[in-house]
Amino acid sequence: MSKVLEMRNICKSFYGVKVLKNIPLELESGEVLALLGENGAGKSTLIKILNGDYQMDTGKILIDGQEVDFKEPSDSEKHGIKMIYQELHYAADLSVAENLFIGHLAKGSGPIGKHLIDWKKVNQDAKKALGLLNVDIDPKAMMRDLSVIERQIVEIIKAIYGNAKILVMDEPTAALTPPEVEMLFKIVNDLKAKGVAIIYISHRLEEVFHIAQRVMILRDGNHVATKNIEEVNSDSLVELMVGREIEERIIELSDNKATAPALEVSGLNKFGSFKDINFKLYEGEIVSIFGLLGSGQISLTRSIFGAERADRGSIKVYGHERKIRFAQDGKNAGIGFVPIDRKVRGLVLDMSVLKNLTLSNWNNLLTLGFFKNKKERAHSQKWIDALGIRMAGGIDTAVKFLSGGNQQKVVLARWLEANVKVLILNEPTWGVDVGARSDIYDQLDMLAKQGLAILVVSSDIHEVLAISHRILTIYDGQLTAEFSHKEASQDLLLNAAAGRLA
Amino acid sequence: MIILTTKSKNKKSKLFSSDSLATISLLISFIVMAIFFTSQSEFFFTSTNFANLARTLAVVGISSIGMTLVLITAGVDLSVGSVAALSGVLASMFWLELNIPLPISSLLALLTGALVGLINGLIITVLKINPLITTLASFSIIRGLAFVISDGQTNMLNNQGFYFIGRGNILGIPFSLLVMIVLYFIFFIILRYTSFGRNLFAIGASPEMSRLAGINVDKHLLISYTVTAFLAAFAGLIIASQLGSSAPRAATGLEFTVITAVVLGGTSLAGGKGTLIGTLIGVIILRVLNNGLVLMEVSSFYQEVARGVVLLLALSFDQIRSGFLHLRRERT
Repeated sequence: MSKVLEMRNICKSFYGVKVLKNIPLELESGEVLALLGENGAGKSTLIKILNGDYQMDTGKILIDGQEVDFKEPSDSEKHGIKMIYQELHYAADLSVAENLFIGHLAKGSGPIGKHLIDWKKVNQDAKKALGLLNVDIDPKAMMRDLSVIERQIVEIIKAIYGNAKILVMDEPTAALTPPEVEMLFKIVNDLKAKGVAIIYISHRLEEVFHIAQRVMILRDGNHVATKNIEEVNSDSLVELMVGREIEERIIELSDNKATAPALEVSGLNKFGSFKDINFKLYEGEIVSIFGLLGSGQISLTRSIFGAERADRGSIKVYGHERKIRFAQDGKNAGIGFVPIDRKVRGLVLDMSVLKNLTLSNWNNLLTLGFFKNKKERAHSQKWIDALGIRMAGGIDTAVKFLSGGNQQKVVLARWLEANVKVLILNEPTWGVDVGARSDIYDQLDMLAKQGLAILVVSSDIHEVLAISHRILTIYDGQLTAEFSHKEASQDLLLNAAAGRLA
Repeated sequence: MIILTTKSKNKKSKLFSSDSLATISLLISFIVMAIFFTSQSEFFFTSTNFANLARTLAVVGISSIGMTLVLITAGVDLSVGSVAALSGVLASMFWLELNIPLPISSLLALLTGALVGLINGLIITVLKINPLITTLASFSIIRGLAFVISDGQTNMLNNQGFYFIGRGNILGIPFSLLVMIVLYFIFFIILRYTSFGRNLFAIGASPEMSRLAGINVDKHLLISYTVTAFLAAFAGLIIASQLGSSAPRAATGLEFTVITAVVLGGTSLAGGKGTLIGTLIGVIILRVLNNGLVLMEVSSFYQEVARGVVLLLALSFDQIRSGFLHLRRERT
């Protein structure tokens, strides 16, 4: 084994705030190093220094023992450092092949030809590259026409094709289904065998145990520890990351003997998305819908809320039939909805926490049609205290500066402020770190105890098992099974969600 | 093999990409329009009228090339009309006031136009001011300068050589049209077959991705705005040549005609998408619409209305179509 990368005493400050303090990192060829830490611990800053996006204040980076100086991302690429970013960057209206080779499309030969792009070769190369992962994607298809998963696969191929020596993967599995995650791990193992060194960032600890040889933990810009994977377990990792112990969650199964269900969905259909959906959700209950991405669950919850329109079926809220055709109808019926991509559809990132909190609840706060600043502030502060929303600059901080967990709480608070009776959450902890995650779980628990009926859509099996009173599985647009918290197990859920139910 | 939930969709997109579909529907609407005008006016489908049409295509056509580039990068250039006016004014001023030979005066006018584009580009990339605002400012500044320099006067440009730019023929084909065709061909190759061209699409789609892919985004934007202004300046010379004079009022509203043509041709204001073939068809449609309405003796007031309606109709169809596609895709 040889040391392919060494980072020594990396320091970085932003506006006088030290975000990285003397961070060391060593990486050997053919190993997977998991980089762990809560959001804001400094992981992404460290990675951006490695790929030349940021310049370190002090410190050294050595590749194969040679000191290097990266001024921009293309410099690090020349040294074989490739990145797979958490947020996909692609050109929707360009072909898959072109997205794969953007910035270095194959040229032809000859005096004029060498200046011109050889599309035939580009497409052939793309086919070859796609063959690496054995996927059926047409290189000529427009990126726009692909599913989220296919786009991610293209991104991964883009990074690993060519001379990747060091591969940095930033939450690569966030949008993948379990079989695809397995697929990805196979690829990672292949790359390892070829001697590629991998830095793997993930919030999913079980993945880390599955794939990494060593873990490195950052907290508040400090290097906490680097350990062999055998020396740690989940609890000790979380403790190292968070700096305190997080208790195991135990679900208290409250008896929901409520007279009427809070939400009753019957015979709900939408062509091409879901079929014959029937379920009830009781007061004070958390029910999860578990399924692989693209099984129709997102469209289902959107239809219940009114962000989409179902073809037929009925939705009752506390026994009253509701005609839900627009989001406004869902809201008026007392349904709250937290979308899957909260940054795009759930928050106005540039607006303050205060404004975001009161965004959809103007009516309660209006006095003769005008906002009263004091009242607005008091209301908002109430929720900030109740949910423990943490922000650096107070209530007027723009939401974009909050961590993922706190952003999620703002979205939550907004619906609670609107006094909803049924709350639908889509993938509530995507991009949320461990500490904030258990915080959100606690909040949901508390809200359920207060009588809120909560419907969670999640593709994270651990999350589903941790928080739900009941779990429904969905496969190909149809509900396949229902489990109580006690009955549910990983095996059962996965089988049901893969449509393999006996 | 990864189980892809959406396999069938790929197959479909092979048949008709949304791009070619847009071009086809554009062509069909063009043909319908041509048939309509032929039935309404006996003069429409005549060689005299076509010659007339051909002569008037170049100004909007050439300016639209640059606008297509800029829109693809998710920018916009509102200053093309002003630059065209300034270019004509400068050519005549250099010639009449400074006694510089007209060919050199014209060349200087073109270079000054390019300089305006370079400055636009610098403001957009270095100061990071939004292209719409930047070029709105230069739209006003440059038009103002054209008035200041010419003192608001129209100047005669009495020179046979200069007339050739806008009025001359080669083998019976208007010179300006030939130049336009050559330019379309060159820029078609650039957009399709060079890194520079492809990078413009990448930049328009996601500047961040482009930067990470090692593309020098600022350089590409600078070149695009410079080229756009240079071509606008050339269009300005064609106008001056056709009119036989330079006027600071020339090419008023050109930028909007050009944007209309480019957008009609399927280029997205959001960037990352567009074709020169689409633009060319857009230019022709606008021109033919105008010509047909004139032949039908429709008042020029209504012509303005018609142009706007056509634009809205074209975009509505596009929106409905993509909305339909989007619905089918909603599931993923």
